[in-house]
Amino acid sequence: MKTLSIDQINRHDKRFCISYPLDDTALSASIQKVGIIQPVILLDTFPFLAVTGFKRLEIAHHLGLKEIPYITIDITEQKALLFAIHDNIQRGLNLVEKAHAIERMLHIGFSSAEISDTLNILGMNHHEKVLKTLIALASAEDFLKHFTVSHNLSLKNVGYLLRFEVNERTSIIQLLSSIHITESTVREILEILTLLKLKHGTLPLEDLRPAGIQDLLGRLKVMAYPVRTSLHEELQNLRKASGLPPNIDIKVDPFFEKEYIDIGIRAKNQEDIYQALEKLHRLTDDGILGRILDLTKGKLR
Amino acid sequence: MTAYSGEYLISQKVSFVEARGNIVRDCPGTRNHICCGYKTIDLVEGCVLSCSYCILKSYINSPDIKITRDYDYIFSQLDEVIDHEKTHVLRFGTGELSDSLALDRRFDLNRPLVTFFGEKKKALLELKSKWAYVDHLREYLNPYTIISFSVAPQNIIDREEKRTSPLYKRLKAAKRAQDAGCFVGLHFDPIIIYPGFEKDYEYLIHDIGRILDLERIIWISLGLLRFPPRLFDEFMEKGRKNLLFGEFIRGEDGKYRYIKSERIRVYSMLYTQLKSKSRDLFVYFCMERSDVWKSVTGISLDDNESLVRLFDTRIHDLYGGIL
Repeated sequence: MKTLSIDQINRHDKRFCISYPLDDTALSASIQKVGIIQPVILLDTFPFLAVTGFKRLEIAHHLGLKEIPYITIDITEQKALLFAIHDNIQRGLNLVEKAHAIERMLHIGFSSAEISDTLNILGMNHHEKVLKTLIALASAEDFLKHFTVSHNLSLKNVGYLLRFEVNERTSIIQLLSSIHITESTVREILEILTLLKLKHGTLPLEDLRPAGIQDLLGRLKVMAYPVRTSLHEELQNLRKASGLPPNIDIKVDPFFEKEYIDIGIRAKNQEDIYQALEKLHRLTDDGILGRILDLTKGKLR
Repeated sequence: MTAYSGEYLISQKVSFVEARGNIVRDCPGTRNHICCGYKTIDLVEGCVLSCSYCILKSYINSPDIKITRDYDYIFSQLDEVIDHEKTHVLRFGTGELSDSLALDRRFDLNRPLVTFFGEKKKALLELKSKWAYVDHLREYLNPYTIISFSVAPQNIIDREEKRTSPLYKRLKAAKRAQDAGCFVGLHFDPIIIYPGFEKDYEYLIHDIGRILDLERIIWISLGLLRFPPRLFDEFMEKGRKNLLFGEFIRGEDGKYRYIKSERIRVYSMLYTQLKSKSRDLFVYFCMERSDVWKSVTGISLDDNESLVRLFDTRIHDLYGGIL
């Protein structure tokens, strides 16, 4: 295997680099143990330009290695980029890497059809919105890229984050990084924050010091959906006041849209039924059920 | 073909297509909501007015306009539907998949229908629009054609209905239609909740009372903003502040709509203001639940049929024996 001095490679020119992040603890440990097994591919220019192997180069540099195994190729820029993309595709690209790939293709001047083909290979649709989000992600701050990869964010959630100003985005990411959160909850929170920003022009992040995900969601919902949360609170209070036994269940539409409630009785014998009916009778007389029904008409007392 | 309609060039492609299948259909309605039994005539598919909240964006795949002009085919369907109906006075409209008047002056689409309904004398045709130009139809108008306008505060027209006629032109066109012997309809749809909307709607109702002959308004519909999830994403993306200001829930049909307590509050406010102009105004809700009807109007509607009967009574009161 041929080797050459790392100094002969222009490490700063990353036109073919789609890998993110470049630091890779496992690869670093492996290189320290057995060295670089697979040669990097370089474009035959002076100084040499890396086409593949950016992670290996970066780690080699950090480890203070002087030489690196290599292969040179003499192809066009466009072919070199395709080479780089397809060399990485087999391991499965994360969203930031996909964004890098498409952004680099656009920069080098690939045709729309070629970009469309690559998007298909990457499992994405050739849609204006998709392209716009990928391009914005490719040139976004490292903070967002890191969060995207570490939380395996969907393109939709990245799109939500990109609608905020950089400083707002940073605050949101800090907030979300402080709690254990799933992708679907990220979406719910970003949707609420987008709504609040639209309605009020600012984000209410300063006062938020959530004790956990449910606490954060609860507080955001009070701000975004004040009527619905009031109705839910009232329903909770009425449920408490009713002292329902576990074999009676009162179901209310979560959006208080349906004009009826469902009452379920679990009974093992006739006595259970008599007792449940008697309880419901009392709740009706006390006006509790009436008040629950009022909630379905949006009435709070 | 590009269409030139009034003051601006429309960039959407207009094509004429062969009539296929059912052009005359029942308004799709929505589950667990009271529907008025309207019938639609899909003469035009697509709209040049491009209102920001338009639901057509999620129903129609192509931005282009498709026009059907096989009138014999359409008339035969109309004949069949009208002659088959023995109980109710049917109401038809061309404004379901398009604006009824926006392209009419150029393509002369409604005149054959207006004439058909005038000769048939058994059903009503409603031309529903935000485009205030009906003078080209004036000499053909007859009592069986209802000229209707969607109305909204000018604030909303400026921001969300940018290509449409201003409010005062719509009201003046409606008055000219009344003067030509027609009944007119008004559609407060979509009603949008935004900061200060209450005052704007109060002024709007005041203008209606000032400009129009209230006795010649056949019906007024109220419909608060509602839209499919795809539009919710679009509103968020485009920062449609006015459209997202209120508090929304997902209804049983999957569409976003304002939470019920807000709907009742807003409908009650508008209903009371309209009725204060004239007790005789016929005000109905487009796609609302029976409990909202009851809370706002005191009217108990069990099903669509009961609303259709209210329409029959209204039409009978205004037309007497001629329908």
